[in-house]
Amino acid sequence: MAEFVEADNAEAIITRIEHKSRKIESLLKQHKPVEALKTALEGSPPNTQDERCKSANWIVVHRAIMAIKDVDSLFSYLDPEYYDILMKYLYRGLSTGDRPTCDQCLRIHEKLTERAGLGCILRSLADTSNTV
Amino acid sequence: MANTSRLYLTCIRNTLEAAMCLQNFPCQEVERHNKPEVELKTSPELLLNPVLICRNEAEKCLIETSINSLRISLKVKQADELENILTKKFLRFLSMRAEAFQVLRRKPVQGYDISFLITNYHCEEMQKQKLIDFIVQFMEDIDKEISELKLSVNTRGRLVATEFLKQFI
Repeated sequence: MAEFVEADNAEAIITRIEHKSRKIESLLKQHKPVEALKTALEGSPPNTQDERCKSANWIVVHRAIMAIKDVDSLFSYLDPEYYDILMKYLYRGLSTGDRPTCDQCLRIHEKLTERAGLGCILRSLADTSNTV
Repeated sequence: MANTSRLYLTCIRNTLEAAMCLQNFPCQEVERHNKPEVELKTSPELLLNPVLICRNEAEKCLIETSINSLRISLKVKQADELENILTKKFLRFLSMRAEAFQVLRRKPVQGYDISFLITNYHCEEMQKQKLIDFIVQFMEDIDKEISELKLSVNTRGRLVATEFLKQFI
């Protein structure tokens, strides 16, 4: 019974993620990378254990992260409530091992730590239930 | 090039500062035993999320924390066969003398070149900042050491070959 509920949820979540991805593409075309990142981070992490949803969400966030050129302006526009979830996605990006992704993630990680402090890192390490 | 190295080391330093929050925790299963939980991984509630920080395809650093211990595994950049052999020999030399280092692990974790195991006892005896400085300094020095070793091997090889082949001129 629980599996059916999960499956329904998963389909709904994947549809939502696709909507998000279309919105983000349009925002990126308008040269608004910060807005795109905010949209990508909203509603994450998806409230499910399904790997496909997490991967789908990660692909969307990855697209937004790679489009950012100016890291300093990012933090003047991004609200603090998104810092924790951004940190979790940065660590996911760092674990991929792909050179441009890692470069970008390292750059943002340094600035985010200066801004949000070590607590942000510790929350991403300690949160074993809401992983991305 | 140097810039990514600086960012990589900063990231590792920040993550270690956050992750090195260790306290004494006697074993839950066996009384009167005190084991580093990160090695045994018996109880999931005592472990934090492991974090993998990659600089590129060749270099990475795995940081696993638990309530009373922290394990750091490093994979060092190895450009060619010679560096491969030199790194293996050099790090094996260090690992065999792990007693002297105290925080070094005798065998690296599968898939990595060298591992450190830091327990709460180390944090009590030594300063946390100094431990982190040691690890980051180690990472910086390893690259320099390996290039120096490679240079000296190449120089010696060239000298020996020149001397040997002189007799055929």
